[in-house]
Amino acid sequence: MSKSHLIGTVAALALAASAAQAADSKPIVIGVPVGLSGANSVVAPSVVQSAELAVEEINAAGGVLGRKLVLEVADDASGAAGAQKAFDGLIYQKKVDVLISMETSAARNAGLPAVTKGRVPYIYTSFYEGRSCNKNLFVDAWVPEQQVPPVVDAFAKEKGAKTYFLIGSDYAFGRGMLGFARSYIEKTGGKVIGEEYLPMDGSDWTAIISKLKDSKPDALITSTAGGAPNVTLTKQLRGAGVSLPFANLALDEGTAKSMGADAKDVYLSASYVTGIDSPQNKTFLAAMEKKFGSGMRTPNDLSVPEYEAIYLYKAAVEKAGGTETAKVLEALPSVSVTGPRGTISMSKQHHAPLTMYLGQIQGDGAVKVVGTFKNVDPGAQCPKL
Amino acid sequence: MLLILDILTTAAILFVVAIGLLAIFGVLKIINFAHGAWLTIGAYCAVVTAKLGLNPWAALPLAFLVGAALGGLAERFIIRPLYRRPLDAILATWGLGIVVGQLITLGFGRDVQLTPNLLPGTVAVLGVDYSAYRLVALGIALVIGALFALTIERTRLGLSARAVIMNATLARSLGIDTTRVRLVVFMIGAGLAALAGVLLTPLTSVDPNMGVSWLIGAFMLVMVADASFLALAAACLVFGAAQVLISTFVSPILGSIAVAVLAALVLRVSPKGFSRA
Repeated sequence: MSKSHLIGTVAALALAASAAQAADSKPIVIGVPVGLSGANSVVAPSVVQSAELAVEEINAAGGVLGRKLVLEVADDASGAAGAQKAFDGLIYQKKVDVLISMETSAARNAGLPAVTKGRVPYIYTSFYEGRSCNKNLFVDAWVPEQQVPPVVDAFAKEKGAKTYFLIGSDYAFGRGMLGFARSYIEKTGGKVIGEEYLPMDGSDWTAIISKLKDSKPDALITSTAGGAPNVTLTKQLRGAGVSLPFANLALDEGTAKSMGADAKDVYLSASYVTGIDSPQNKTFLAAMEKKFGSGMRTPNDLSVPEYEAIYLYKAAVEKAGGTETAKVLEALPSVSVTGPRGTISMSKQHHAPLTMYLGQIQGDGAVKVVGTFKNVDPGAQCPKL
Repeated sequence: MLLILDILTTAAILFVVAIGLLAIFGVLKIINFAHGAWLTIGAYCAVVTAKLGLNPWAALPLAFLVGAALGGLAERFIIRPLYRRPLDAILATWGLGIVVGQLITLGFGRDVQLTPNLLPGTVAVLGVDYSAYRLVALGIALVIGALFALTIERTRLGLSARAVIMNATLARSLGIDTTRVRLVVFMIGAGLAALAGVLLTPLTSVDPNMGVSWLIGAFMLVMVADASFLALAAACLVFGAAQVLISTFVSPILGSIAVAVLAALVLRVSPKGFSRA
């Protein structure tokens, strides 16, 4: 070892030691890169709100190992370029201890290199198309293996559906969801008689709907981009008089409400709906209402995992005895918390078995839970981890 | 049968969306890139109508009036100084579109808005159940087309407008108040765009960016039609048919770019587009 090398190593060791000493009193910083602008801007405020509630509750109860939690929210503009900036800023300038956030897949993928290089744990709290594997990455939301089977099983059992038509937006998530739906339908003895896509900004579904009516399937499954394309497709389907059993993989409670009568009878599948009948959920909803009042964004399947992930991180830090990344990563798969969605543990190859709810939209836009599927396994997401 | 209805109604919707842009391009010789924003304004008139508890159809006259009034303001203060600088007018109207979109976001939020369905349900036409609303939209397109043709051919305003189209300087020297003609035509074009926005609400999501996806298609159609009203009808029919047929038999993804690609091809082969026919 050369002299300069030796000096460098000693200096690094000294720095690390002083950092460790200071750490005990310093607050723990949680980075939240989230799409405050762009495609996710409708949902991002609800994610930030649930993070704020979790931090406030934990701090009020004495913090984590006696240290306070602090949030650093950064806008990733819902895309890859913004995410690179947001992740770099949080990791290298704000020196966050952990990243916990819901993002688009593009933003997550763009941020991962910085996560690996900066050696911080990253808990991803958005449902996604699956199979994103990194030793620093944990996911507490659903993947297709968990969301699609409840829908197909219910249609097969209760509606006797054998033939399916699939319609989606032409992007990774839309194609990923319907690709998995096709393989699951075929595995369970059903048949897909049509699979059609329109670009994300497309607004004319006329030809696809005519094909759908022509092929007379038993059931319809759609997976569009959230927001506008989802509303457009549903309006045009209803306008054309389509009244098949209809599951919408991209539908959430808020969008269902804004669609009004057009969303009636549509099925959705989620790990969180506001109507979950558990004491934890009721306490959570009451606390949200108390903290944010009329400014509260309705909690949803993207915001509640954020709330639980902060508690999961707290549990992991307590188990590890500190925020050191290697120890936290070791502790994360073995801890569990009971939150609004039930007991969550990211124990399966960095993913979490989840209880899934099959909901049906009522005339007033509310979601009625018509089926509960306990601890649905995420499957082999990251066999190499 | 289904295919024919799809083609006719798709063409009708394209026509309704593009006619306001064509009116302005024809007389003023500028492309109004704020057209998409005016579609959005019209759709939000439907949202306001619903909030006030009025009959959803009342949104049609309301949107026309609001669109025309705002169009008048835009013409007076933004477009008028730019008639001799059509390239700057593109920039100005594009910017105006962005401003309008942001104002709508400020006023109503980014979220998708709920509008009542103008006409739900289906009717049986020659053996197929077809969306009642799309058939009505076809009728409305024919009515708008007929009224537009009558205005151009049979009224004083139409005569003046045609004079301005042919030779603005000569028209002015003959005592036609070209400034006034341009103002009125811009207001009518903007009003028609807002009207089209209401007519789109049963078909698409209502959000601050809804107009953008329709703007490009309308622009292509107007380029091909080259300010001729009948050519626009023909272009809508041909391109609408191409869009439906390609979507049905090849791929909806290709279908959705059919209008843009075909317009480029047509203009390459025949720079005057459909207007010679």
